[in-house]
Amino acid sequence: MIVDPTTSIILSTQRYKSAPRVDQFINVPFAQSTKTLTEYDRSVDISLATVFDEERQLSTIFRPVTKFAILFENAYTGSTKYVPFRDNLYYTNAIINAQDYYYQGNTMAVQPPATDQNIPWDGFPQYSEFDFIRTDNDVIGYTQPPNNHVTFKNVSATTYNWSHYISYPYKNNFNKTLSAIEPGTNIQWSWVASSGLPYYVLVGNDKNTRQITFKCPMTHGLSVGEYVQLSVNYNGNQLFQVSSLGTTGSGSEEYIFSISNIGYTGNVFQTNSKGTFKRVINAGNSGDTISEYYVRQHKIITKPECAVLVNAGFERNIYGNKQKCEIKVLTPNQKVRNSIKEGDRSYTLSFNCDVDINGLKDNQGRPLTELFFTTIWRGYFGWTSVMREGWYFNTYLQKGKPQTWWDTTNANANVNISENFYTTPSGGNVKFYYNDLLNTGSTLNGDFCEWNNFDQFERVISTYQHKIKYNENWFTIKNKLPTTNQYGYFYQPHNPVQIASFSDYIEEGSSANVVGIPDYAYYSTTTALFRWRDLYPYGFIDPNGVGVDYPFLNGAQYPFTNTIFRITPENYNIPSDYANIGSVPVNITTITDPLVDECE
Amino acid sequence: MNANKIKIVKTDLDGFVNVPINMQWDFIGNDEAISSYEIDVINEVINPVADFEISRFAHNVFPNQDSAINYDFYFYDDSAPITANTVGNWGITYLNEGFSVKDVYYYSKPFTKSFFKLDFYTTKEEKTQQIYLSIVLPVQQGSTETVLLSPQLGLVEIKKPKMKLDYIGDKEGFFIYWLRNRNFIDINRFYMTAKFFDGRTGIFKQMTNTQQNLITPNKFNFDNSNYFYYRVDLDYDNKTYEVFSTATNQRVGDANTPIKFYEYVNP
Repeated sequence: MIVDPTTSIILSTQRYKSAPRVDQFINVPFAQSTKTLTEYDRSVDISLATVFDEERQLSTIFRPVTKFAILFENAYTGSTKYVPFRDNLYYTNAIINAQDYYYQGNTMAVQPPATDQNIPWDGFPQYSEFDFIRTDNDVIGYTQPPNNHVTFKNVSATTYNWSHYISYPYKNNFNKTLSAIEPGTNIQWSWVASSGLPYYVLVGNDKNTRQITFKCPMTHGLSVGEYVQLSVNYNGNQLFQVSSLGTTGSGSEEYIFSISNIGYTGNVFQTNSKGTFKRVINAGNSGDTISEYYVRQHKIITKPECAVLVNAGFERNIYGNKQKCEIKVLTPNQKVRNSIKEGDRSYTLSFNCDVDINGLKDNQGRPLTELFFTTIWRGYFGWTSVMREGWYFNTYLQKGKPQTWWDTTNANANVNISENFYTTPSGGNVKFYYNDLLNTGSTLNGDFCEWNNFDQFERVISTYQHKIKYNENWFTIKNKLPTTNQYGYFYQPHNPVQIASFSDYIEEGSSANVVGIPDYAYYSTTTALFRWRDLYPYGFIDPNGVGVDYPFLNGAQYPFTNTIFRITPENYNIPSDYANIGSVPVNITTITDPLVDECE
Repeated sequence: MNANKIKIVKTDLDGFVNVPINMQWDFIGNDEAISSYEIDVINEVINPVADFEISRFAHNVFPNQDSAINYDFYFYDDSAPITANTVGNWGITYLNEGFSVKDVYYYSKPFTKSFFKLDFYTTKEEKTQQIYLSIVLPVQQGSTETVLLSPQLGLVEIKKPKMKLDYIGDKEGFFIYWLRNRNFIDINRFYMTAKFFDGRTGIFKQMTNTQQNLITPNKFNFDNSNYFYYRVDLDYDNKTYEVFSTATNQRVGDANTPIKFYEYVNP
């Protein structure tokens, strides 16, 4: 308030002659143009740590990095007559093949003799067919002219075999049809994900034991005292309390659970009867405490060209490089070379593009706590075809054979990745297939999961798997399996990196009493309370070790993880005894290596 | 303040109202100004968040999808003085530089400690230019030539300064690692020069983009901006770079038009 100091207030009678006497007032306006100045308003202590933390918590930019250690066992030998493939195998039956191929004999230092081009050669595709970065850019007749299979472009060295992306789970697919088998038995399930987990009765009421025991083909996630809601009912009752877990076998408690046999009769709990169940924590409040089951769906959020894959320094895995020298006279093209069965390199994957998670929610509508390195088989060289999808429980063999799930006629195992093809002059009209690259916004299935609103916790029941198998037109595995369901290799496409953490405790409260209930909290109509887990700030790790703390600089978060990428064979075939699956394999190293070979 | 209750009645004295003007008042709106000022001060004191992250810029593919970048480094054979007729005295060989066949073949220390250094400047004007990055090309990279090691040991393959850099194989120096965010330094064009560090003598040798004997009118006194540089353009969207001749503005670097650098010879 500003007042002119020269202002004087005089009596009303003195304003002019015979002025009347009146009361005088000063009207002080209510309109405020001022406020009280609080001390320290203009003196702020700047804390570098505080400013850093504020910036860190506000940042939604991520630059995830992983180091891939590849574990691969080249397990399937086969045969091929296609010249570019044939000339580049890791031979396993070279002497026999050479005898047939060079039917007039073949010795060193002599002009190459006549050959029988219809003789297939046996061996493994070399490791370069599976490696993350192909380096065989100079192989004449294969990657370089003349008569080559593909003209190698070095810019594509990292995308010929695999492509890499960042993805996140963005919704749930409750209607995915799944299938599983119990190894060694004829028991097989086909169910919809939302139905829960499959089981069969291991020890039924017909055995007259005190407990009825169930077995699942995947981990059940139950605890003693919890309940299972079965897909079948006994006199209208579907809820049964779990009385014990496991049998005498180590680790069986994860797959086997029992309920008390209080004298059940009939065939509901008969041995080998099967069905599905859902986990219920509290029978008195099954509406809130029953679990949901679904398949996570991932959305790709980076372009393929964003991925930067490089050698991880000099790191190599402990299994070493498995290679040998192919001797000139034991090759179909009369060329000595090194062939590599399994490699040992590690790779580092980063991205040229930033990942901004602002506005992204996970499949439960919560803030993202995980990003995924999604690695997809591309197979541009055409050794494989018709990639399949499944889950870890589909990788068990069904009486020594691949599960029927993987058959190419099973539409439920189709991957959501388009397959393309090309032909080559020497291959005629027969196609070489490969998988197209994905783009941002592409969606893929993910892990089979359980979610419980009461727990506010998501459990991965079984990891998502892809199966790649050879294209029988070009590389034939000799066994009695149908061509539509051959052995193949599994890999896990989605590998997580944690970017944030939810608390290990659960908050509960009503909106009347608690401020700051997050929008992802679950509202229980039974208790009229919200339930949620707090989202820990970046850099905070609680006494139980829950939380994340990774570098923050350049205004971005730098989460890192080590990833072991397994390319796992489904089963071993028998290199020299194809007719008898399961017999003792013949040692393929019976050709003794010379002390000094032609490759040195 | 409740002004309506103030009532001043007549007395025999002049009446005054003392209105306190103690500075316990502040103009509304200053809060926001202070907050804004606070950010400025913090930025001044602590430094603002700046993105210094680098990205890998690869050599852009040519229309034939070839991604390799080719460098040819020519050294002058000092056995003859430089004239308009000594065209052939430049060769893509370390032998011209003074290394022996044994130095190169056996990877002697002076040889392996030698390297090419590519410097990237903001402009071609030496008085105003700034160097922002350098790339070192080790002599262990490159193709080979066949030479006689000795009458007893015969012909051998030794390294020569002709490099084909790509995603795989020889890739040291193939990528340019540069700021991915343009907020800090907004630059998409560099001018590249080359120097050779001779591990025998410990000195750098400047290189030109043209054979010195072809430089007219004076091969020892010329405009540096025309003969020392290649232009390098960055593409931030695709994270690639391309190299152009400063003389022709044509793209260079493929197998047919390699980037050529010639040893500069002092008069």
